[in-house]
Amino acid sequence: MNTVVCIKQVPDTETLIKVQGAGIVQDGVKWVMNPYDEFAVEEALRQKEKMKAGAVTVVSLGPDRAIEAIRTALAMGADTAVHINDAAFAEKADPYATAAALAAAVKGLTYDAVFVGKQAIDDDAGQVPAMLGEMLGIPVVTMVIKFDVADDKSKATVTREVEGGVAVIEVPLPAVFSAQKGLNEPRYASLPGIMKAKKKPVDAKTAAALGVTEGPKTVVKEMSLPPARQAGKKIAGDDAAAKAKELARILHEDVKAV
Amino acid sequence: MHGSGAEISREVFWNILGPGFPTEQVLLYIIAVGAFLLFFQGLARGGFFTRLKAIMKAQGPEIDRVNKPWERFWYTVIDVFGQKKILREPFQGIFHSFILWGFIALVITTAIVFAQADIIWPIWHVWFMKDGFYLGLSLFADVFGALAIIGVLMALYRRYVMKPKWLDEKAEDKIVLWFILGILVTGFVVEGLRIQATEANPSSPMYQYIWTSPVGRTMAFLFSGMSIEAIKGTHFMLWWAHVLGAFGFIIYIAYSKLLHIFMAPANIFLRADVQNPPIKVMPPEMFENAETFGIHKLEEYSWKDLFDSEACIRCGRCVEVCPAFNTDKPLKPRDVIQNMRTYIEQKAKFAMDLNGNYRILSDEEYTGPALIGDTIEKDTIWACTTCMACVEACPCYINQFPKLIELRRYLVMMESDFPAEVLDVFKGMENNSNPWSIGAHVRADWAKGHDIPLMSEKGGAEYLFYVGCAGAFDDLNKKVAISLAKIFKAAGLDFAILGTEEGCCGDSAKKIGNEYIYQALAMANIETFKAYNVKQIITMCPHGYNTLKHDYKELGGNFEVFHYTEILDKLIKDGSLKLNQPVGDLGTVTYHDSCYLGRYNNVYKQPRNILKAAGVGNMVEMASHHAKSFCCGAGGGRMWMEEDLGARINQTRTKEVEAAGAKTVCTACPFCYTMLSDGIKELELSEKLQAIDIAVLVAKAAGIDIKSSDADEKEAAS
Repeated sequence: MNTVVCIKQVPDTETLIKVQGAGIVQDGVKWVMNPYDEFAVEEALRQKEKMKAGAVTVVSLGPDRAIEAIRTALAMGADTAVHINDAAFAEKADPYATAAALAAAVKGLTYDAVFVGKQAIDDDAGQVPAMLGEMLGIPVVTMVIKFDVADDKSKATVTREVEGGVAVIEVPLPAVFSAQKGLNEPRYASLPGIMKAKKKPVDAKTAAALGVTEGPKTVVKEMSLPPARQAGKKIAGDDAAAKAKELARILHEDVKAV
Repeated sequence: MHGSGAEISREVFWNILGPGFPTEQVLLYIIAVGAFLLFFQGLARGGFFTRLKAIMKAQGPEIDRVNKPWERFWYTVIDVFGQKKILREPFQGIFHSFILWGFIALVITTAIVFAQADIIWPIWHVWFMKDGFYLGLSLFADVFGALAIIGVLMALYRRYVMKPKWLDEKAEDKIVLWFILGILVTGFVVEGLRIQATEANPSSPMYQYIWTSPVGRTMAFLFSGMSIEAIKGTHFMLWWAHVLGAFGFIIYIAYSKLLHIFMAPANIFLRADVQNPPIKVMPPEMFENAETFGIHKLEEYSWKDLFDSEACIRCGRCVEVCPAFNTDKPLKPRDVIQNMRTYIEQKAKFAMDLNGNYRILSDEEYTGPALIGDTIEKDTIWACTTCMACVEACPCYINQFPKLIELRRYLVMMESDFPAEVLDVFKGMENNSNPWSIGAHVRADWAKGHDIPLMSEKGGAEYLFYVGCAGAFDDLNKKVAISLAKIFKAAGLDFAILGTEEGCCGDSAKKIGNEYIYQALAMANIETFKAYNVKQIITMCPHGYNTLKHDYKELGGNFEVFHYTEILDKLIKDGSLKLNQPVGDLGTVTYHDSCYLGRYNNVYKQPRNILKAAGVGNMVEMASHHAKSFCCGAGGGRMWMEEDLGARINQTRTKEVEAAGAKTVCTACPFCYTMLSDGIKELELSEKLQAIDIAVLVAKAAGIDIKSSDADEKEAAS
């Protein structure tokens, strides 16, 4: 089975985020592959291993540094990659523009399924999977936690998360699947995998070269960090009753909780 | 007197040789030659040569093991004859020494008798075995023979009565002892019979010296009622029994664990110059060129790794001290080595062609049992805490646990096969340079508000205070880092920290088997150290200490590295640090030796000196301490793994603290501090016990307040 996996490079969840205008300060940020995309890569690899045939192609939009995330996917076992290496385009890209660029790259590939993470953990938009399916003119199943493909690769039976339960869906292939946590346990790249990844082919293209004409439909005007957590308050005093009374007053008047 | 005429001596073949041609003597030679031939045949039949061929085919890199031959020779002699390492265990030590010394003494005596009777007398007709020399020799042989008997009896007592749970039990273990006892006892009985017949008679010139054979003389009393004919008949029979037994023993060496008589000294001779670092570095260029990493096939070990299994006599000292074994985990270092030995032979059978040539088989050709899984189980591989107790305990200088680390390397780097919880540890080390996976940018947050000199601001300092991940990220251990920084300041030490430029030392990665991450982390640190022209480093964590001190050298990082206990001990001694404030009521105090300080680096004194200087009052040692200290359970990356097999090591150690009657256990390692603190909580002993790091105690004794103004505010606010 041939699969395409779309991945995004995002800041590590623990890294220091400083907001500057409508974006973040990129200096000193540790970049990693979007964790949901790891599930997508892993699932593509598992399908290939199960069918003992096919290739896994990774597609990513991002500046030069995105190659690190691509190499991580290649180290896990993906075969080839397309790097839409276009810093200017990526800088302004909203989910629509991102999906357009990815779709343009995916169109030229042969595939039975496209796997993507359900959302990127940086902007949390979660729109790309659906838009990508629309632009490619194929079905989309989101929040996939189990994936089975028919032997003739004509359809897939997938389980997706729905509020409070699961739904089992049958869908003709090709289709786009967005991966939710629980789909699998992403592998840790072996050392030979890491070494081989350095030599695997990565096709670098600009958005223009892919024929992407559509730009972003939305613009980020401002970005801010959540307010810092307030320090706790200590109610001083020796009289327990007075302290309890003060606690009740704070909860009622200041916090308005009771 | 065999024609010698010497009065103060004895006839060597008394009652054995008939008149005329010495048929029996010639027969003895034939038997002797036969015994030696059978010994070599036994080596072949016992698989020794087969194993040796396999060992010679090992491909792993190995250091020069025969350099400085004289030095090696002498320490082997001292170690073997002095029974240096053997005697560390009193009971086993004494009985083994008695048997060994008895054996050597009797071999020497026999050689002298042989030289006299079979070489010097027949050729030159000189009889030197007489008068004072003879009497001395007689006493020497009797005394050592008696010691050997005592030794064997003690060993039998252990085998039949004491039966420690770590002792292996095979038929040969008892056979060997009864065999030796039989030879020794028949020897003395033969002597007693001869003495009764020839010397126990006031008219004999030997009569007045008869007690120079104290055991033989005593034996002779048993036969005083026997007729001379009966004595001679019994003597003749038992003499031959004794002789045949001795030659049988030589043959049996080839088939049994007795082969250690040769293999143990050989392994001592071949031991590494220094014990550190026991785990070989993987040459950095290997990552670019090699196709496989770590070990999953026997031949990938070095010849010495395989040879170790020849020296193993299954004594079980390594098992006795193993924290994994003692908490019911499936790891016995001895069995790792023994299984390897069996496997060497098994695999050799596949690999040997009909002409006896050994050939390395490719993975496709070899269909026998695998090294990982079939020979050494994965649970065994992951159970090791790298505490070094096995290596330290082994009288034959076998490196047990490093062989497991090689297997981990294969599992981790080739198969990505490791306990699931380790994944985050690797990712944390890769992305944020710490196993806690906390953002690298907060590495220096512990120092905020304490006015601690930063290398990037200071430009350089006499000492780099390398804090390590625990001191930087772990709440419990941050106060140790603060204590140390404040103590150094109070003592006027010229030091600085690297702040966010510091990186993980990589010890956990290395010991879990991820040499790739380890080297990346190590190289980054070495580069930073060099950029600030760092010469001397003080570490807070013994793991960082050992890694920076020994392992970084292999990657080009040559620094003088100290653990903080070494520095504090020095500062206290030279008066720079005055400990004159009360440390409060700690009750009885005990010190828990960190494996990486103690066994790895021989730092035992300094922490204890510091505690005394801090005036902790009553100090006791736990049941296991110093070189035999019991691991806290966190080494070898076990800190980051679930402990779902057997009892918990940290709780076992905590119980030892309690059993020692201590109220406070002091640590000098953040991992030990964490593990013992957790142990106390898990066992609900918080009312009775407390764990405290030595640095925190010293700060208190020096009257240093480790809370900053910031910290005060925070605490007030929470």
